[in-house]
Amino acid sequence: MPGSVARKVSAALLAILLGTMAAAGVFTYSKLESVSASLVRSRYAVQVLSIKRNVEDRLNLGFPLRQLRPIQDVVEREKAGDPEIVDIQIFDAHGEVVFDSDRGSVGTVVPSNWLNSLGNGEDFAADDDRVVGLPLINGFGQVEGGVVLHYPSASLERGMGPTAMRLLGKAAVLLAVFAPLAVLGSYLLLNKVARRLATMGTILGKVVAEGGEVVPDDGSDALETGFAAFATRIREATDRIRAASDDVERLDRLT
Amino acid sequence: MTLDGSRSLYPRLLVLAILVLVSPLALLGFDAMDGFEKGLTPEIEHKAAIVGGDLADQLDRAVNYGIPIDQLVGLDEFFAPVLDANRELRYLAITDGDGKVLFLRGVPAADLEPHFRNTDFDLMVPGQTSVIGDYADLAVPILADGTRVGLLHVGMDVHYVHHRVAEILIDVAVVLAVSLLLASEILMFVVVVNISGPLGQARRLMERVRHGDFTLLPWVVTSDEVGRFVQCLNGAVRGVDQLYRTLAAYVEEVRGAHFDPTVVERVGVVAEGIDAAYRFAPDGAPKLRHERHAVDVRLPLFLFTFAEELSRPFLPLYIRSLPSVTWLSPEMAMAVPIAVFMACVGGFTPWAGTLTARHGSRLVFLVGLVPAVLGLVMAGLAESMVDLTLWRAATGIGYALITMACQGYIARSVHESSRTQGLGVFVGAVLTASVCGMALGGVLVERVGFRDAFFVAAGLAVLSGLLAWRMVEPETERRERERAPTLRDMIALLGNWRFTVLMVFSAIPSKMALTGVVFFLVPLHLWSLGCGFGDIARMLMVYAVTVVVLSPLVARLADRSGWRAGLVASGGVLGGLGLLAPALGLGSDSVLLALACLGLAQGLSASPQMVLVTDVCAAECRAFDRTNVLALCRLLERIGSTAGPLAAAAVIPLAGYDGAMVALGALVLATALVFAVAATAYGRARPAEEAA
Repeated sequence: MPGSVARKVSAALLAILLGTMAAAGVFTYSKLESVSASLVRSRYAVQVLSIKRNVEDRLNLGFPLRQLRPIQDVVEREKAGDPEIVDIQIFDAHGEVVFDSDRGSVGTVVPSNWLNSLGNGEDFAADDDRVVGLPLINGFGQVEGGVVLHYPSASLERGMGPTAMRLLGKAAVLLAVFAPLAVLGSYLLLNKVARRLATMGTILGKVVAEGGEVVPDDGSDALETGFAAFATRIREATDRIRAASDDVERLDRLT
Repeated sequence: MTLDGSRSLYPRLLVLAILVLVSPLALLGFDAMDGFEKGLTPEIEHKAAIVGGDLADQLDRAVNYGIPIDQLVGLDEFFAPVLDANRELRYLAITDGDGKVLFLRGVPAADLEPHFRNTDFDLMVPGQTSVIGDYADLAVPILADGTRVGLLHVGMDVHYVHHRVAEILIDVAVVLAVSLLLASEILMFVVVVNISGPLGQARRLMERVRHGDFTLLPWVVTSDEVGRFVQCLNGAVRGVDQLYRTLAAYVEEVRGAHFDPTVVERVGVVAEGIDAAYRFAPDGAPKLRHERHAVDVRLPLFLFTFAEELSRPFLPLYIRSLPSVTWLSPEMAMAVPIAVFMACVGGFTPWAGTLTARHGSRLVFLVGLVPAVLGLVMAGLAESMVDLTLWRAATGIGYALITMACQGYIARSVHESSRTQGLGVFVGAVLTASVCGMALGGVLVERVGFRDAFFVAAGLAVLSGLLAWRMVEPETERRERERAPTLRDMIALLGNWRFTVLMVFSAIPSKMALTGVVFFLVPLHLWSLGCGFGDIARMLMVYAVTVVVLSPLVARLADRSGWRAGLVASGGVLGGLGLLAPALGLGSDSVLLALACLGLAQGLSASPQMVLVTDVCAAECRAFDRTNVLALCRLLERIGSTAGPLAAAAVIPLAGYDGAMVALGALVLATALVFAVAATAYGRARPAEEAA
């Protein structure tokens, strides 16, 4: 169908179909990812809350944070219980890590923006995709430090990867089915119009070249009736001007 | 045969578009739902196991200290934050060995106890869940010295995943609805430009030829079947024209060279016979005439308005997230950028109209795109409310230029007799774009955030410019400088009491309600009620869809009945009453009701109001031109648009969001009643056509 109306309409339909599938796919995947990420995060938040309570119970007994040596075992046990956890850290109010599931990191300093948000009492690492953090508050309401849990993006990606691939595959299959349908539908809808226009063009050529009259069928529409009148008028004008030319030629030869 | 023109073809193509869009999207949506359920359920169970294990550890510690399980205290306070933080968990319970509920938070004991008493939890595999009505129950043993003394039950909401899935399906439905509207716009453009437009030109050519007129040919450049058909017609006309030119040349030759005056006279008679029967172009060949279609500009206008409307569901909330100035209340600071945008649109509209008349629509569209796109990009980069106000002003100027350029193009593309149809092209594009923009804006901002949503809008605006550059024909002939509306015209118009009453008691309050409520209060109010951006967008869609559906119906009704003042007054009263709905205190349902009523009100009054202006200002329309009268009317309306957010912001600190909506509703209702009474003195309205 080179240079055809059906091709243009098909192209428009295909572009719309592709755009719609892409938009729906992206939005759907993004929603899946956001809900899944929120669930994974909240699961780790439960573990952080558990450690927080454990530490705060001991702080409330009057022990300073640095002297809560059993907490080192708690964080190591929690990490051992879930191999996906990357690291669990407990730091003091100055940001120095005092207990860490990776003992080599004890003594390091946490990012300063965490310290600035500790006083809010909520997850101070909420802007960080792969970290959950809660402040440690003693019985007098003073911030003693914080507990953070680092988890890998892999746990989310493992769940989302196959889903994304499945969505993509499904979208491709649907496109492969519905794109030809769109083309076929456009062709069927417009083919009749195209054929009739081509026929009228041919008829007009014949009328101009060979003469004759165009008589519209019963039930012809306005365009066909108009075309019949047009073709007849063209033929009539052609004949009349040719006759006039003949007359002029004849007169010209009169001497 | 039905060559169709496009009348029956367009709906059939729309049906095809619906079929090829709805089916795959529905299948994709349901497939995603299935995958989502499969993916999320294990994650929730995993989480419930962790919560259960953690709580059980702490309970184990307590009972190992020797506290009997039925005498534990403070469990309500212990369970409450866990349930609050995890919406997918519906209850936490502790039962003894017989299944008797000792402690429970979340649901009534009667819902669970029969199940607990009748289930042998010893037979269950650790981590296995059992379904109790709407809940999936996970039982974790509480151990004292290694002996089970009770069970901790973690109840998961089995509908949680369904709810999340439903949200996805709604989003997919919104994308689908927007796509269908977009498809209808694109298909309309393709059909008009490629089929109905050229065939319309062909029809007019055939009609001219039928009357012996061979002077004009349609200028069609497409090479498809329709283009070839028109070229074929043109070829036939050119053939006749060529014969005529040959004859005319021969006649001239005979007249100039023949020695016999009788022959010359008789040749002249022959030539006059042809000239009397047919008309040919005097300048040597038929002239090619390029016809413009109102639809040429519809797609660029649609895309630009769509881009601008994307920010509708979140703009006040974005403003709130930016640092503000201390000398304005937070509410007023949120209202100012919206009001400034409206003021710029209103203030620059008359100038934009004059500019369009002088320099043509395409140039003004492209020039208007510069501040509009710059404003959208910089709005995304704004560091403060002051920055944002400045860039919204720039977008407002661009908006005024572009909309006036489009209106001007449409006005020049349609015949005087079909001005209403032309206005329909403009209003249709703007309203459809509003629905799409509002709907997609909410979905988009949830995914990409405020700033990126503005960048997407800027990209769409650039695309609209490219389309305008390609599709909108440049002005080929210089137009006479049109007379711009002046302050004197405005004063003269306001001297017409009917017009003043219409503006002060109907047009301005209704615009105040529109911008104050729809653009400003609704996003803020719904956000405060815990709705997300997607929910806000869907609520706003109720307004826009109501207007889209109702406006054309009411326009026809108003034309038939001539009851324009009545419809305008009814719209005002309905809108005012609807805005009182928040006084019922039904939360988001009140807002929904108010939006539906406001949509009905705008749908009822918008079209009749425009016609009523030309009715009551018949003399002014003759004196200053109808376009100028309508431009001044639009300018006055913008006063209401600008005042709406500011008035709402002033009331919020005193009466809250509900109170502000009610206050605007009371204002609209009171002014509508005054208008209704005053309109009885209008007398029988003269039809607009007479006025024109």
